[in-house]
Amino acid sequence: MKEVMAIVRMNKMNATKKALADAGINSMTAKDVLGRGKGLVDFGVLHGAEKGYEEAIAHLGETQRLIPKRMVTVIVPESQVPRVVQAVMSVNTTGKSGDGKIFVLPVTEAWQVRTGKTGQAVLDDF
Amino acid sequence: MIMIRSIVRPEKADAVLSALMDAGFPAVTKIPVVGRGKQRGIKIGEVTYDEIPKEMLITVVKEADKDYVIKVVLETARTGTHGSYGDGKIFVSPVEEVYTVSSGVKESEEVLV
Repeated sequence: MKEVMAIVRMNKMNATKKALADAGINSMTAKDVLGRGKGLVDFGVLHGAEKGYEEAIAHLGETQRLIPKRMVTVIVPESQVPRVVQAVMSVNTTGKSGDGKIFVLPVTEAWQVRTGKTGQAVLDDF
Repeated sequence: MIMIRSIVRPEKADAVLSALMDAGFPAVTKIPVVGRGKQRGIKIGEVTYDEIPKEMLITVVKEADKDYVIKVVLETARTGTHGSYGDGKIFVSPVEEVYTVSSGVKESEEVLV
């Protein structure tokens, strides 16, 4: 089992949900997060702008700060990972920086709370 | 690649974020969370607070940078000289694949910041 953690733009959330559903991935978890990427955040400028220095305020637009994003988490069998990645990529790729990242992590065990079942049965539908 | 999930005090989150930036790890995801630790929350008089607000900071780094990032977070997030209860925890887990959505590229260990 694999955990696919995708961090995407907030306004792409509906398209992402639809793309995942179309790909046959029904179960997912989403969460509001804040984040930044490889761009530079200059905290000196931020604090300066808060205190009202004009030079710092002029710099504000050039630097990157924590940006609201949506985190989508899907647990799937190993064979489905490329399908999930493909589904997320297909709607979220605009080519600009800030489109997000997808991480694939191993899941060693899973349990279904309702039935107490473990293993592959957790991921089977009903 | 390694995912480092640090749970820190909300008032320390900004300090940790700027420390990570200065250390050369700009990419971070921040999530507000609530939780309790080994001390079973905080008891003030009759009331026990077991949903204490914290910030979870997620960074994904190269295997070689793991120890350095952990050291940066530990040193910045600790309060007082010897630390105190509630300073938080750091969890480390493996990441098998990383994709950049904008380019569609599967990242390799060398490219990752």
